[in-house]
Formats: sequence, C-alpha cells, structure tokens
Amino acid sequence: MSSSNPGSPSATATSSSSASSFSSKAHSCIQALSSILSTVPSSVSSSSSLLHDPTVSSQISTLLRDPDSGSGDNNLCRWLYDTFHSPDPELKLVVLRFVPIVAGIYLSRIALRKSLAGFEAILLALYAHETTARDGQPISVNVPDLTQPSIYHEAKSSVKTQATELNLAVISPTLEPHGTMRSSRRARIVGVALELYYSKISQMPVSSKLEFCEFCDIWATGIQNKPSSSSSSKQKTILLPWELLQPSLRILGHCLLGAHKSKKLYEAASIATKSLYERSLHDIDAKAILATSSLLRLEKMALDPKLNVDHTEIDMSLAL
Amino acid sequence: MLCACSGEQFKFEDAPQSPESLATRDFSASGLSSRTGDWESKLDDVQVDEAESTVKEALSLNYEEARALLGRLEYQRGNFDAALQVFQGIDIKGLKPSMTRAIVERTRQRKLRSKGDIIPPSVMSLHSVSLLLEAILLKAKSLDELGHFRDAAKECNIILDVVEAAFPNGMHEGIAEDCKLQEMFHKALELLPRLWKKAGFLGEAITVYRRVLVKPWNLDPLRVASLQKDLAANLLYGGVETSLPPHLQVWGSATPNGNMEEAILLLLVLMQKVAYGEIKWDSDIMDHLTFALTVTGQFELLGSYVEQALPGIYERANRWYLLALCYAAAGQNEVALNLLKKVSGQSEAKHKPHIPALLFGAKLSSQDPKHAHYGITFACNVIDSAADDQVNEHFKSQAHKFLGVCYGNAARISISDAERSVFQKESLASLNSAALNMKEDPELIFNLSLENAVQRNLDVAFENAMVYSNMVTEDSGRGWRLLALILSADRRFKDAETILEVALDEAGSLDQLELLRLRAVLQIAEERPKQAIETYRILLSLIKTQRESRSNNFESAKSSDSEGVTERVLELAAWQDLATIYTKFGSWLDAEICVNKAKSIELYSPKSWHTSGLLFEAQSLHKEALVSFSIALSIEPDYVPSIVSTAAVLLHLGSQSSLPIARSFLMNALRLDPTNHEAWMNLGLIAKLEGSLQQAADFFQAAYELKMSAPVEAFK
Repeated sequence: MSSSNPGSPSATATSSSSASSFSSKAHSCIQALSSILSTVPSSVSSSSSLLHDPTVSSQISTLLRDPDSGSGDNNLCRWLYDTFHSPDPELKLVVLRFVPIVAGIYLSRIALRKSLAGFEAILLALYAHETTARDGQPISVNVPDLTQPSIYHEAKSSVKTQATELNLAVISPTLEPHGTMRSSRRARIVGVALELYYSKISQMPVSSKLEFCEFCDIWATGIQNKPSSSSSSKQKTILLPWELLQPSLRILGHCLLGAHKSKKLYEAASIATKSLYERSLHDIDAKAILATSSLLRLEKMALDPKLNVDHTEIDMSLAL
Repeated sequence: MLCACSGEQFKFEDAPQSPESLATRDFSASGLSSRTGDWESKLDDVQVDEAESTVKEALSLNYEEARALLGRLEYQRGNFDAALQVFQGIDIKGLKPSMTRAIVERTRQRKLRSKGDIIPPSVMSLHSVSLLLEAILLKAKSLDELGHFRDAAKECNIILDVVEAAFPNGMHEGIAEDCKLQEMFHKALELLPRLWKKAGFLGEAITVYRRVLVKPWNLDPLRVASLQKDLAANLLYGGVETSLPPHLQVWGSATPNGNMEEAILLLLVLMQKVAYGEIKWDSDIMDHLTFALTVTGQFELLGSYVEQALPGIYERANRWYLLALCYAAAGQNEVALNLLKKVSGQSEAKHKPHIPALLFGAKLSSQDPKHAHYGITFACNVIDSAADDQVNEHFKSQAHKFLGVCYGNAARISISDAERSVFQKESLASLNSAALNMKEDPELIFNLSLENAVQRNLDVAFENAMVYSNMVTEDSGRGWRLLALILSADRRFKDAETILEVALDEAGSLDQLELLRLRAVLQIAEERPKQAIETYRILLSLIKTQRESRSNNFESAKSSDSEGVTERVLELAAWQDLATIYTKFGSWLDAEICVNKAKSIELYSPKSWHTSGLLFEAQSLHKEALVSFSIALSIEPDYVPSIVSTAAVLLHLGSQSSLPIARSFLMNALRLDPTNHEAWMNLGLIAKLEGSLQQAADFFQAAYELKMSAPVEAFK
C-alpha cells in the first residue's frame, strides 16, 4: 500500500517532498480554474485542497450540469482535460472526482444529439490513460481452487471441486486503443472511466460518490429530478450494457456496503440500487438481476439490528 | 493470586503457585462485593486517588490491579471519562514485556508440569495478566465510547501484541478453561478491526483481520466464520486495495492476488464450511458470493453453489429461477430454459405462478425460433395470471411483446400455410397490444418493424425502424441492418447504402463484418459486381486479422467463442456469394475456387452445394446441377432455393412428364416460403407451357410484385 493511501494511518502525514515538486503545477492549475469559476477560495492552494474544497466542487458540478456544457470549446472541459494530463497524481484525482457527473451527464445527453466533444475528450483521455497503464491487457483474477491449501484453509482430501485447473475470471477485458468515440464503444469507454474511478474510490470525497448514486438512479429510471423546478422529466431510456453496469455495480457496492460513515451516501446508494434492480427486472437482464438483488438483500441484513450483536461486550456479571 | 507487577506493593510475601487458587479468588471477589455498597456511593464525590486507596486497602491489590478494577467499575457505570483517567494511570507499555513473559512462562509450565520447572515469583500470575488485558480492553472501549477511535485501536492493538508475542504460531488449544485471558484476547480480536474501521483506516482493519485469521487462536468456529465473512465483505466493498504482506505470500499460486481474489477465496472457504456442516447456511455468504462471482463473470460457478444449497433454503421454483439466471448469464440459454420449463410444469401447478421466471422463460424462448412454442406457453401463462391481478401492467406488456416475437418465429418455422398466416396475425396483434403500454421499449419497436417487414408491410416496417434507430443511442448494428434491408426491399438501394455507410462508421467490429457483407449483397443487387468483390475482399481480410489478433490473446479467445462462430458464418457466406458472382459472369474457374473454399469451411452447408449446383447449371451441366441440388436437399430437406432450382432444371430439361414433378417442387417451396418470387415465376412458366395463359399471367404478376418488395436477403 502506498503511503498516500488513506487506508493507512500514516496517510495523514502527507508526502511533503512530492507535494512541493508538484506545487507549481497545482498552482497554475488553480489559477486556470479561477478564470473559469466565479470564486476560488484563498484556502484552495494545493491539489489536495482542490479535491476536497466543497465550494470549488459545487461550482464545477453546477457548471458541468449547465445545459450547454460539454461542447468541444467548453473551458471547464478543457481544464479537466489539461488537469488530467498533469503529472501530479493528486491533480488526476481531482479530475476523477468529477467522473460520475461527467459520465452521468454525458450518457443522459447522448439522445439529444448535440455536441458533447468536451465530455468525450475527457472520457477518452481517461480511457487512453488506462489503456497505456495496463498495456491493453485484461484484468483478471484466479478463481481459487480449494483443493490447494491457502492462508485461510487446509485442503480437505475428499473435496470435490468444480475445476482443478487454473480458472481465470476476467474483471476487465482487453483494451484496444480508441482515439474517437463511437456509439459501439461508448459503453466500454465510459465503463473504463468508471473502473478508473473505482480504483481510487477510497480517496474520493463523499459528494462525488453521492453524484454517482444520483446518476446511477437517473440511468436506471430515466427520471431526472430537477431541484430548481421541482418537476421531474422523463428522459429516453439509457441502455445499460454489462460493460457499463459491471463497474457501476462495484462502485455502488462500495457506497452501499462499504465502511464509510455517511448516512446520506448509504441512503443515496440504496435508492440507486433499488432503481437498478427494478430496471434489471424490467429488462429481464439476468446478470443485473443477480447482482442487484444480492446487494439489496445484503443491505437489508446490514440494517437489521438483531443480526448485529456486539461480541466484544464484556460480561459484567462474571466474578473476578 | 495478586502478585507483583510493578513491585509497588506486596501483601503476599510468596506469590501463590497456582493462580486459580479458589481461596484467594473467593476472597477477592467477596471482598469486592461486600464492600461495593460502601464505596459506590463515595465514588461520585471522592477523588479517584482516594477511591483507589480504598480499593487497594480493601483488596490488597497492587497499584495496577487496583486501577484496573476501579476503571472497570467506572466503565460499568458509564463514566468513560473517569474510567479512562483511571486506566491512564497504568503503565501499559512498560508492562507489555512482563505480561508476555508471564503468559509464556505460565502456559509452558502447564504443559511441562512433570519436569517441575520453577517459575520465579516475580512472574505475574495469569490472572493478573487477564486483569490487565481487561483493563486495556476497557480502556480501548472507553476511548471508543468517547469517539477517540484511533487511540482506541492503538490501545486494543497492545492486547494482540502481547498475546501474539507469547504465541508466535497461534494457540492451538485453550490456555486454561477458567482463565479470562483468552476471553479478553478474543474480544480484542473482534474489537480491533471495528475500531480501525470507525477510525477510517480500512487498510489497518483488513491487516488485523488477516492477522487474526491466518493463525489458530482457539476461537469458536462460528466466530472465525463471522470474521472471515467480515473480511470478505471489507475486501469486496472497501475500495481499498491492500496487498498481502510478504510473509503471507508463501503459498505460491494459492496466494490470493488482490482484494477480489482474496474475498472469493474466503467466501468459497465459508461455503465449504457450510457444505461440511461446520457452520449453518448463511444467506449473507451466498449474497456476497453472488455479488463477487457476478462482477467477475463466474456465473456457472455461482450456479453450482445455488445447486449445492440444501432443500428448504430456496423455494423450489425460486431455485430454478436463480439457476436459470446463472446459466443464462453464463450463455447457456438451453440449460436455463430447461430449468424454467420446470417452473411452468405440472409440479408447480398448485403454486402461485412465478411471474419473473415465466417472463424470463418467454424472453429466452423468443431468442431462438425452435423454442417459439414454449415461448408462447410462457407468455400466455403470464398473461393469464394478469387476469388475476397478480401482474403489473409492465410485465403484462412484456409478455405480449415476447408472445408477438414467438408467434412470429413460430410462423417462420411453420410448414403449414394456414397455420403460418394465423401465427403471423397473432404476432402483429400481440406486438401491437404490447405497444399500447410500452411505446418506449426499443426491443418492441424493433420487433414491430421486423415482423411488419417479414409480412411485407414495408411502410409500417420502415416507420418503426426509423423510430427504433432514433430511440437507441447505443450501438445497434441490427437496427441499421434492418433499415437497410427494408430500403432494399423498397428498391431504394442508394438510401440503403447511405445507411450502411453511417452504420459502418459507428459499428463495433462484429457488427461491422455483418454490415460489410450486407453492403456487398446490396452492390450485387445493384449489379456492381466489381465493387462487391472488393467489399468481400475487405471483409475476408478483416476476418483474418481479427482471428489472428484473437489467437495471440488467450483470454479474449476464451471469452469470444460466439465471435468466432459469427466470423465463420460470414466467411462462408462471403465465399458462397463470390462464387455466385463469378458464376453469373461466366468465370467458371474463379467460381469453382470459391465454391471449394466454401465447402472446405463447411461441407454440410446446403448453400455451398446449391451454389455449386448453380455453377453447373450455368455451364449447362444439368445432371450435375441436379445432383448438387439434391445433395443440398439431403442436408436440409426444406432448403427452398434448391427446391426451386431443382424445379427450374427439370423445367429446362423440358420433357412434358417432368412438369408435374417440377410443379410439385414449386408448390412445396411456396408452402415453405410463400414470398419466394422465383417459385412463382417458374410456376408461371409451367402454366405457360401448359397453355393456361390467364393463370400464367397471374403467377407472373405475383412474382413481379413479390420481387419488387423483396429485400436483398431475408429479414432478420
């Protein structure tokens, strides 16, 4: 685990050496942003504060939601694109933080058939980054063979297992380089952007994950609640092929059952999961039914207090 | 019992050899209980120090033990601040080595009692160690209650450090039955990962889980299972990739590589425990496993675990449904369909209908014409249940959609003209009735277009195809294809080609091949053979490169068997089409090469033999042609083109006696395919030869009209 991972206690001590070498990049990046946003608080001076500052992210989110956002000459898309190409990994995280909203709005707007070249450039950049990073190779896992002993069990000689040979399960298939968006590649390109997002999800602020749940719900139902007009508008159905759904479900699993502490996020994830489940029944999509129904049952179990007994309680009636 | 820890106070000169001495134990316990009344009231007011001295005096304890007991009382009363203050007076860090040493010495002594090892009196009793471990645990819990999770975790970690240092290989058996030490340790094992999670350090929590689970700690098997489940869940949903520490990576290929693999390993180990009856069935484990195997695409393996569940865990119909979902997701539609047939079978007649399963059956049946009749049964079952108000409108409309598709498929495989026209009518009626409620379902609109196209209602078909392609923003090779075919049936070849241009630009690699073939077929229809040949050349070289790139990549080769099949089909079709082009232009040699290529790919393709027959016919080798056509028909007796061509050759041979045979062939062809314009054309020729001119004119008229509305190849 790298030291910058918040999963470890040492993460709070930020790696100051790398931060200083990237600070000028972060600075110019923030300057560029201040020409796009109305206000950038003076407290925002580093990539980390850029990632976590609520006023900056809410302004960016609002601009991305603008009906005319996402075109090829959009300043903000340009900024996100440039920022992602910065060598500072923390600045890349800032861009990833907006993946839910970029992917969400992008997919919701395809049917309008207007230029979304700005969004597409960002998504293609993420896709290209991932393609290069893994040299186009698929990501797969070995399905464990219980006839072999492991750190968690001893082999039982009489076990009948399904397969004794190495059983490879592909989590993410081979990536071919794509320089342009095509309708046939769209789901995969967006799916890979979501995979990339998931790989850094522990470093994403809750607000970003909330946005993901919000768009997941919109993809599933086609209903967009506009907070301003209080009316909801039904959109064209967004197809949810497995290459898009699979990374989405992994993100959703984290939001619904992960060890974060945001009640709001649990609620949003719960709504999105229910919508996706309804949608999977609607589409009679076997894979999606299996995944979403298992998530829903697990959520129910997690909320059942009877099943959450504290086994570390000290029995005070015991004599000394 | 109470021996020296920090050496501050000695009430007993000689430490008792056995920490379990009942006398001392009773003394301290009763001493505590008899006095509680006294100082419970005092505690609220007096300072900790005073209370401490009271306890010390009353129980003859040393400094640490007194604090431990006092802290425990404060904790018990919910005074976490006060408890913490008391516990902080214990120098836990300083005591760590002596606690470990005490555990080592005292447990070794137990094992090797006969050898008569003498334990120096300065070694703590196990009871004291327990008391101190409890104090640490309660300190951690107090910190937890006060919201200092990280400090709580660090505190709790000390317990693990102390005990682990004493047992570097774990505890295979308990330390002592009546010793609280093990109990405190076990509680700490469970508390620590929770504290790290609360503190927001999931990576640390995972590390602790592993630390607990890779060694035996004499934990209750149910608790071990529960911890394994927790670890699996944290690996699955935590979103923190934490690789195994190097000292655990000693199992070679059995070392889990990454969170997902480790989670699956744990869940499979748990499922094995369920199978061996070591733990009870736990739907959580199954649900975690379902999620893990679903996102990794291991649907068949998942199905095998659903199969392993003992009867009673799932309702019978539900289990069949779940299994069908797994097998269908694994691409084994036939298996899935067989399972779903059980759901609608006799054994379930008395149960409430399982609507999702029936609908799923209807959907799967609609994908293969040979299951059309099962699909009709499934869909009708759903619609019948809808009468009892058990089905919502959406599912009812879905059922009508699948019913329409299945009727259409049934019509296509029907061998009776009367039956076919009934099915076709039912098909459109069902699809239209579905459309009342789900105008926005792309699948439905596509099928409305397709069925109308097949029935040559080209205007309606075109309209729906346009609606469909506007509706579907994603990849839709088949939508473009259908639109192009409808346009070709309308003789609008230029428009069809334009559509294909657009489609080819957007399509994925597999659709691209199909669209290229269609473009070539269009070019043939437009009598531009040179361009068609060029298109086929591109198509064949694309197939070649795709095949090569796949053979270089093991994994995608495994995952795309169906791609390989489609490629083969298209490759075969390309050679057959090329043979037909060369035949038409009299390049016999080229045509023959192409026919042989086609036969080398698939010898038992009726079309290859048919093409070969056409080549002979073009060379006026009528007998050889007849042989080829009859081979095609022996492979597929209902292969209409060869039936028609056989009739045409018989007609050409010209003897009066063969006319009735030829007519019989043609009538058979029209029974199978009433829209076959060549059959009508030849019937007209026969009528003309027989002198029935009015009839001949009618036949020619029919042939002309059908030809004018024929797509360049069958709608699908």
